[in-house]
Formats: sequence, structure tokens, C-alpha cells
Amino acid sequence: MRPKKVAANVAAILIAVFFAFPTYWMVTTALKPRIDLLSTGYDLIPFSLTNVNFSTAWNKPGFLNALGNSLFVSLAAVLAALVVGLLAAVALSRLRFRGRKGFVLLMLIAQMAPFEALLIPMFLMMRDLDLLDKLPALALIYFAVTLPFCAWTLRGFVNGIPLELEEAAMVDGCGRWGAFWRVTLPLLGPGLVATSVFAFVTAWNEFLFALSLMKDQTKETLPVWLSGFQTNFGTDWGGAMAASALFTLPVLVFFLIVQRKMVGGVTAGAVKG
Amino acid sequence: MTAVNTTDSAVPARRSSSAPRRAAPDGARRRRGSAFDRLLPYLLLAPAVISILWLIGWPVLSVLVTSFRKLNLKELTRGEVVWVGFDNYAQILGDSTFWTIALRTVLFTAFVVVASVLAGLLIALLMRRVGTAARIALQVAMLLAWAMPLLAATTVYQWMFDQQYGILNKTLVKLGFDSFAGHSWFTTGTSTLGVIGLLIVWQAVPFLAFSLYAGAIGIPKDQYEAAGIDGASAWQTFRAVTWPELKPLLLMVTFLSMLWDFKVFAQIWAFKRGGPDGGSTTLPVYQYLEGISKSHFGVAAAISVVMVALLALLTVAYLRRLVRSQEGEL
Repeated sequence: MRPKKVAANVAAILIAVFFAFPTYWMVTTALKPRIDLLSTGYDLIPFSLTNVNFSTAWNKPGFLNALGNSLFVSLAAVLAALVVGLLAAVALSRLRFRGRKGFVLLMLIAQMAPFEALLIPMFLMMRDLDLLDKLPALALIYFAVTLPFCAWTLRGFVNGIPLELEEAAMVDGCGRWGAFWRVTLPLLGPGLVATSVFAFVTAWNEFLFALSLMKDQTKETLPVWLSGFQTNFGTDWGGAMAASALFTLPVLVFFLIVQRKMVGGVTAGAVKG
Repeated sequence: MTAVNTTDSAVPARRSSSAPRRAAPDGARRRRGSAFDRLLPYLLLAPAVISILWLIGWPVLSVLVTSFRKLNLKELTRGEVVWVGFDNYAQILGDSTFWTIALRTVLFTAFVVVASVLAGLLIALLMRRVGTAARIALQVAMLLAWAMPLLAATTVYQWMFDQQYGILNKTLVKLGFDSFAGHSWFTTGTSTLGVIGLLIVWQAVPFLAFSLYAGAIGIPKDQYEAAGIDGASAWQTFRAVTWPELKPLLLMVTFLSMLWDFKVFAQIWAFKRGGPDGGSTTLPVYQYLEGISKSHFGVAAAISVVMVALLALLTVAYLRRLVRSQEGEL
């Protein structure tokens, strides 16, 4: 029994190393001087540290612009998806009406929409709307990608708040909107944060549409900018890793905030057979 | 904060004075409200439903329609509508390149899905067995992998697999495999896809492991104790206790993985643009090359329709399970 337990723990640590190594390697590479990176020496642990790579990445033409573009399209899309999704979620969760089941199903199916396979019609549509090479096109698409997920997940969170709380508030003299505004919405806070983090990461990561619709270099988002790092950085791996680290940072911070909610949100309802 | 305090003290005082005064407007509002109430759910749903129909429903229709048109740059700029029936389909289905790419996509997806689901399951079960420190180390490590944006991870992998200065080749040489000095991992499509596959598995496993771990800790402990008393071996315990409890969840995450991994584009494109010599091109990459690079929108739409059809098969199977599992909640 004992040696088995030890073996399991050793295996767990080795697997942990496998998963953590790329992050470690990204950070240490970003902190190494260029001369160490382009040497044949073997340095799992850096010999000397520098922050020059970060300032190189930060000052590369296009980085700040791409960062701004990414922030704009992601935040705009998530904000819109959150508001529109919440309205739908409240209706689907709190109200009884004809056709409700159909709408629930619509959200569910829309969530599975194969966006990658809709590249061509999206391209043609944005061309017709004269939105090619314009950031609102991406914001609009990311809104559509994240909306069904937001509506569906928020519906789950609203379901989790007992209706009795709202009714109690209404007995105490709140109107329906007052009850929602003062009771349900504050309780929904954590759910809203978790949902928006997921939606944000989806938009932050998106590559195919950003690559296809934004051919103008000044409209590049961070993923597309980073994918061209060889034109941006050449063999400057330190700079490329520093840029990757800066790209990762916001996501990591968000993930740590909502870490506990993550699994439940995606597989809600999947647990029962 | 103050709202809670005022309700306690204010309600009894208000009840006597305001009730009669409120009766009339309340009644009026209910009559007016009933029509409003009936419309309210649809008003709340309208923005979402209109957005979905416009930005998802219409493109789905449009991709079908476009796949029956000849639509290259010439037709697009002139605004011509040329119907060609099934010509686009005939063109792609008659092309052996398409079949190579389709087969490659299916095999690649299957490989990545099997590898990542198996690894996720093993890690989930491992997390139950190990001590707290090892478990937290695993969870933190997987969280780091999960949080890294696709393109950041792709760039890091490119660096690790770099021909001259990559840490992998350096390590292999250090271990005595001298032939790996200056070895390029991207000379053939298969080895390129192998590296990309490893990257995708690495990215996919954290979600799978966390989901399956959440499912696994839900299995009652006494079932394992009973199995232990009956003298069941580890494998028998897995077959009799873990497997039946975890199977529905496992099926769900397998379906999701198939849907996700089939559509992978960013990593493949960022590594070698589908190269070398088209050797790592999958259907999503093919669609991009035909549609966006060459402006053959009609042909690309036909490729998209084939993709949608394949994905739809998987999606229907997945949704049927999901709806069945949620029957009570719908």
C-alpha cells in the first residue's frame, strides 16, 4: 500500500511539472538576456535576469495598438452579451409563458453553433455591412459567440436564487423591478463575474475571425499580432515570450478570481446522467 | 444595507396607513399590467433572439445558399449572382486533396480526443488518491496551463520545439540522443501535427480533469468501502463503481472535445500555416485557404457545409443527452 501511494504522488508531481513547465519557461525566457537565449548552454534555471525583453515587447510597433484593439472588442462584446443575456436569462428563469421551452432550446442549440464553419457567410455579411477592417465587426461576432453561453449560464445562476427572496422583498413594498434590482442582482454578482470572465477569455483568444476580417494591420488583435511574432521579433525569443506573458497576465488574474466557479459553469447540468 | 433595516421597522407602520390608498392604483396597474405582463417575457427575450437569428441563424442559411453559387472575387466585386447547382460540391468531392484533408482531420481529432479524455480521466482519478500537497500542485499547474491564451501557448511551444535553441532538443542531446542537435520537428506534416496535437492535449486536459474530478468526488465513499470489503481489485472497483457513475459525464466531455478539437484552427495556422507543403492542413485551414486566401467563396462555403454537417451529427447526439439530463429543469 505504501509504495503505491508514493508512486501516485510522484506521478502527480511529474504531471504537474509537465503542465506548469511552459508557463515557467515563458516567464524565465522573458527574463533572460538575449545572449543567454542564443547560446548552446543548458540553462533550465536562468543565470542572470533582465527586464529588457518586457520593454522591447511593450515598445514593439503594434503591440499597444493590438492590446487596445483586443481590449476594445472583448470588453464591448462581453458587456453587450452580459446585458442581453441577462434579460433573456431572467425571462427564461423567472417567467412562465407560451413557447418558453422552445426559447430555452434555442439558447442551447445556439450555444453549439459551429462558428468556425460560418467564416464565409460572416465574411460576406461584414463585407455587405461595410464592416471589413473595422473593429465593430469583431465585437459583433464575439457578442454572437458569447451571447448564448451567457444567457444559458446566467439562467442557471438566476435559477439558483430562491424566488422567495424576491417575493419577500415585494411583500415589503418593493416593486417587481425594485425586488430584482435590490435582491436578485446583488446575489447574482458572483455569477455575473464568472460568466463574464469566460466570455472575455473566449473573445480574448479568438483568432480565425480576427485573422480573416482584419486585414488592416492597425486593426490586428493581440492573438493575430503575436502569431506574426517572427516578423515582429525575428529570433528574439525573449521579446516574444515577454509579449506572450503580457498577453497571459489578464487571463491568469481573472482565472484566479473565479477559479472555484469554473468547472461548474461549463458542465452545469451535465453531471446527472 | 439600509434597506434591510428600514423594512423591519417600517412595514408595520406603513401597513395601516398605505393599504387603502394603494388599492386603487394597484388594481389599475394590474389591468394595464396584464397585457404588459403577457408581453414582458417576449420583450426581455427579443434582443437575444433577434441577435441569434441575425448573427447565427442567417449565416447558417447563407452558407448553404452560397455553396450553390459561383462566387469568386470577380462575381463578388461585380455583385453577380451565378447559380451553379452542385458544382462546388462536385469539385471538392472529386478532388483527392479534399479526401486526404478530411481523413487527416478526422484522424487528428480522434487522436487528440482519445488522448486528452484518457489523460483527463487518469489525472482526475489520480487526484483522488494523492496527498493534499500533490493535489494542489497538480491543480495549480493545470490552472496555469488552462489560463494561457491559445496563441501565447502556441508561441511558447514554438520556442520549446525550436530547431537550434529549443529546450527540448537541448535536453535530448544532454540525455545522449546526439542526433537531435539541430533536429527540426516541422519537416513533415505528421510530426508537425504531432507537436500541435501535444499542444492541444496539454491545453484540453485541465478542463477535462477538473470536470471529471468534480464528478468523481461526487461518488459516495461507502460504495468504495463496500467494494473494498468484497475484496475487489483496483480494476474491478473502477469497473463496478467509478465507471457507471462517471460514464454520463465522460460521454458529455468526449462529445464536447470532439466538437472543439475538430474545429481547431489557430494553433495549426500559427505553427506552419498548414504546412509543410500542406501536410498539416485540416478542414478549417482548407476552408480558410480556399475562402479567405484565394477568394473562392462558393467552394469554401461547400467545405463549410461539409464541416457543419459533420459537426451537426455530433451536436445532435450531444444535445439529446444534455436535454435528457436536464428534463426536469427545462
